[in-house]
Parts: sequence; C-alpha cells; structure tokens
Amino acid sequence: MRKENCEEILMALMAVFDGETTEYTPEQLNAHTANCAGCRAEIDELQNTFALLKNQERREQNVNLWSSIEPQIETEKQTNWRPFAFLGVFLVVYKLLEMIPASDFGFVFKIVPLVVVIALFVFLKENPFRINTELVWRNEYE
Amino acid sequence: MDDAAAIEKVQNGEREAFRYLVESYQNQAVVHAVAILRNREDAEDAAQDAFIDAFRALKNFDKTRRFYPWFYVLLRNRCYKTAAKRHETETVEEMEIIAPQTGLPREEQIALEAALARLSGEDREIITLKYLDGLSYDELSRLLEIPRGTVMSRLFYARRAMQANLEKKL
Repeated sequence: MRKENCEEILMALMAVFDGETTEYTPEQLNAHTANCAGCRAEIDELQNTFALLKNQERREQNVNLWSSIEPQIETEKQTNWRPFAFLGVFLVVYKLLEMIPASDFGFVFKIVPLVVVIALFVFLKENPFRINTELVWRNEYE
Repeated sequence: MDDAAAIEKVQNGEREAFRYLVESYQNQAVVHAVAILRNREDAEDAAQDAFIDAFRALKNFDKTRRFYPWFYVLLRNRCYKTAAKRHETETVEEMEIIAPQTGLPREEQIALEAALARLSGEDREIITLKYLDGLSYDELSRLLEIPRGTVMSRLFYARRAMQANLEKKL
C-alpha cells in the first residue's frame, strides 16, 4: 500500500534523475522505494521514458522574420521632445521681451512668430494649405 | 556586435541594430513556439509579434539581464494568446518537435512525438525545455517565472501525463 508522501518521493526521485538536489537524503529515498512497490514501478517507467527523451534534440527551424518585422518597426515613431522644448522656451523668452514697456526691436522681431510657424510646418513635414481631396470626394459623391 | 551592444544601439534609436537580435534568435524562437503551438505558421506569427513587442519594450530593458530569457516571456505570452484564439474545431497542420535521429527506432520516435502532441501546451513547453533543451530547475524557474517547487510539481504532472499518453498509444 502506498504511503501518503509517495508523490513527494516520486518528485524527489525524478529530481535526482534530472541531476537536481532535493530535501530528501538518498537513504530516505531508497528506504521508501524498498518498501513501496507502486513507487518502484512508476519511477522505473518514468525514468525509462525520460531517459529516451533526454537523448533527443529539437527539430531545427530556419526562418527569416526580419523582412516582415522591418516594415512594422519602421512605422514605430519615436517622439523627440527636444525641439518642442526648445521652441517652448524660445516663445516664452520672446513674449517676455515683447512685454518690456516702450521696447521696439524692429520689423524682424515682429515677424518672428510667423517664421516660427513656417519652421514648425517644415519640421513636421506638413503643408497647411493642402486640401484633403479624400474628404472633398466623399462630400461630393456620397 | 553582441547582444548588449545591439540593445544599446536600439535604445539610442538605431533600428537596424534590432536586425542583429532578430537574426540571432529567430530560429530558436520559432522552435520554442512550435513546441507550444505545434504549427509552423502560428509559431512564426507568434515569434514575429513577440519581436515587435520586444522592440517596443527594449527602451526599458534592464541591461544586466540576458536578452533571450527576457524575450522568451514575451514569446510565450504571444503563443498562449494565439492558442487561445484558435477555435476548438479548427484543425492545424501539426509540426514534429523532435529531430529525426538515426539512433532511435522510428517507431519509438513516433510514439514519443505522439505522446508529446497529446499534452497541453504548458506541459509540452516544460517537458521540452527540460529534456530537449536540458535546462535545470533553476533555469526553468527563471524562464517561466515560477518558484522552483512549482517547477518540480509541474514537471511531475507533465511527466505523468506524457507517460499516460505513451501507455494509451501502446
């Protein structure tokens, strides 16, 4: 008849078979298997099967995933916040200068916001005058 | 270039460096995914998605860790998602996991393969990592993110299930 700790003993015996350490001493394991025919039979079967599997290798696979991965990571945008931070600081300084009473820095100073807006659209590669033809098409024909 | 250098380059915005990591680990990733999914097409899709997940997550990668064990967590998540999406009635073309060897009679190899095939994905995963890759319990514990005691018990029940499958076959 099997004792209550048969599962633990079987786990420990398989751990020893796998080259691992367990909380049981070899004497404890041997004493159990000497008196437990069920454990002896099961451990023999398991060790035979897994000794066979241990000598096998995985079937190799040769794949080329890069060609499918590359286009997908190309679309991953990495936002660089540095230019926007610089622009923010620049505009704050501009506004503070503009607020100085009775100051006149000339014409160039006045067109700075316009230059900044143009530079922003160039940086973002956007045309503010572009007409979304797709929307026009939809409105006319739907 | 090694993994650490490639990871650092990717973190600095050099996407091309990610190619090194993909090409270094793509075959291993698909082999591991096949062991869970038993289907080449699904395994390739899962591996591809896992690499994209890795690319997105690399900026937070802890450089003291090795790349593949970290990546493996993403890979197995993708595999189990793919397996969950499969309909029960869906039949998939199953791939063999064990390499054909001259040392083992073909009949025995077919029996082992069939016994592996009838295991659940999780049981097949731990059995193949242990016996085909030869990982120790500590390595399994780190890779599967479970305690060593759980590795022992999961291996035990997976081995019992495989033994039962073999006996059914005979």
